[in-house]
Amino acid sequence: MKNIVTPITDEVINEINVGDMIYISGYIYTGRDAVLPKIVKLIESNTLGQAGIDLKGSVIFHTAVSPAGVGPTSSNKLEIEGNIPALSKAGVKLHLGKGELSRKTVEELDKYNSVYAVIPPVTALLGSKILEQKPVAFLEEGMEALHLLKVDGFPAIIAAAHGKTIY
Amino acid sequence: MKQNEQVINKVKDALVQAGSSFREDKKEAYCNAIINETLPRAKWALETILENANVAERNHSPLCDDTGIPHLFLEVGPDRNITGEFLEAIKTGVARGLRELPGRPMAIKGDDNQRLDQSGGLDEDPGALLPAPIIAKPVAEDVIRLHVLMLGGGPAIRGKTYRVFHKHNVSVVTDEIISWARESVALLGCSPCTLAVGIGRSQFEASSMMIEAMVYGNYNVQSDLEKLITEKVNESNVGPIGLNGKTSVLATFLKVGPQRASGVRIVSLRPCCCFEPRITSVLL
Repeated sequence: MKNIVTPITDEVINEINVGDMIYISGYIYTGRDAVLPKIVKLIESNTLGQAGIDLKGSVIFHTAVSPAGVGPTSSNKLEIEGNIPALSKAGVKLHLGKGELSRKTVEELDKYNSVYAVIPPVTALLGSKILEQKPVAFLEEGMEALHLLKVDGFPAIIAAAHGKTIY
Repeated sequence: MKQNEQVINKVKDALVQAGSSFREDKKEAYCNAIINETLPRAKWALETILENANVAERNHSPLCDDTGIPHLFLEVGPDRNITGEFLEAIKTGVARGLRELPGRPMAIKGDDNQRLDQSGGLDEDPGALLPAPIIAKPVAEDVIRLHVLMLGGGPAIRGKTYRVFHKHNVSVVTDEIISWARESVALLGCSPCTLAVGIGRSQFEASSMMIEAMVYGNYNVQSDLEKLITEKVNESNVGPIGLNGKTSVLATFLKVGPQRASGVRIVSLRPCCCFEPRITSVLL
């Protein structure tokens, strides 16, 4: 198992390969269908900073944050996968979710030196590894708002990196 | 009218247990799958899912953040009576269980249109999530036994209820089930699955049989048909959480109901995710 700590540098990404089993620690964002398109609009209007969001070297975990905990939703949903390229271009280094991504998305990830990892849907286990959590933006979305988590050792496996995929 | 507090508390506890623990036969199935897997990442995924179940059981916390929609299956003995008050007590127990687990707040507010397009917003109370209509079944045993099942959204998206023209050949029906299952398990992302299959005379009956299959299914007791379906779907090599491997499906739970004198069978398939069936049974 490799330990990955946020913020993630290009050098760290260069050392990551498809099939690597990793532990992720540090601050990570969460977002899914409802909020990711809104984040991309902030990127396009160059207002990310005003919203208190810094995507450089970041991780985005495709999950809601509810009283029941966190767990990955399918990353190949249109409004999630469709925004992965723009988020990668803006600095997201690791997209964390579940399910197979298209060949096109795998190539876009490579273009921006970003990777995709699959995390098992293990809510109870993940809950024991969350140290802090707070909503950051688009609070009106409730559990689907952009949240920031501080995590210690989220387990995952690299499913797409450098143009290659596990599927 | 005063509700039966004892019934309410038993239902509440059953719901929490259903959402936070694996049955013993399921734990055993996972242990066997871990032994049989040779691909390290598949073995790792299975071990992580089992570890999650142990943490959830210890903490009485949700196995998955999609805590599911409560489905209730009631067995009623020959000399037992069910009243409206009793059913209300069950409903109250479900609401309290959802608050205690806690369930994910997923109840959609509003009128028909608002509930369809979700414009009415979500109710923040986990207990506002109503259970699906109760299925009641007469049994020979002199008991009232409630089975609480928590059904998540992923398997609902990938499930299918449709007609199969059987051509007077069992293999035609099982081949169709295997074909549906291979497709749905690959798309689910939360494998290994347990395939719940009901076969009946109408969509309603097939779906009811599918629920009954989950209620009475056992990982250690598999019929030849169930074994065949499991083996054929496992040949797809989808593996745990889609990472390839031998264990795409842990088992198949199949319930064949009464059948119509015709060339058609109605089949309902639910590719239960790696945590399902989330189920507990309690005597009331």
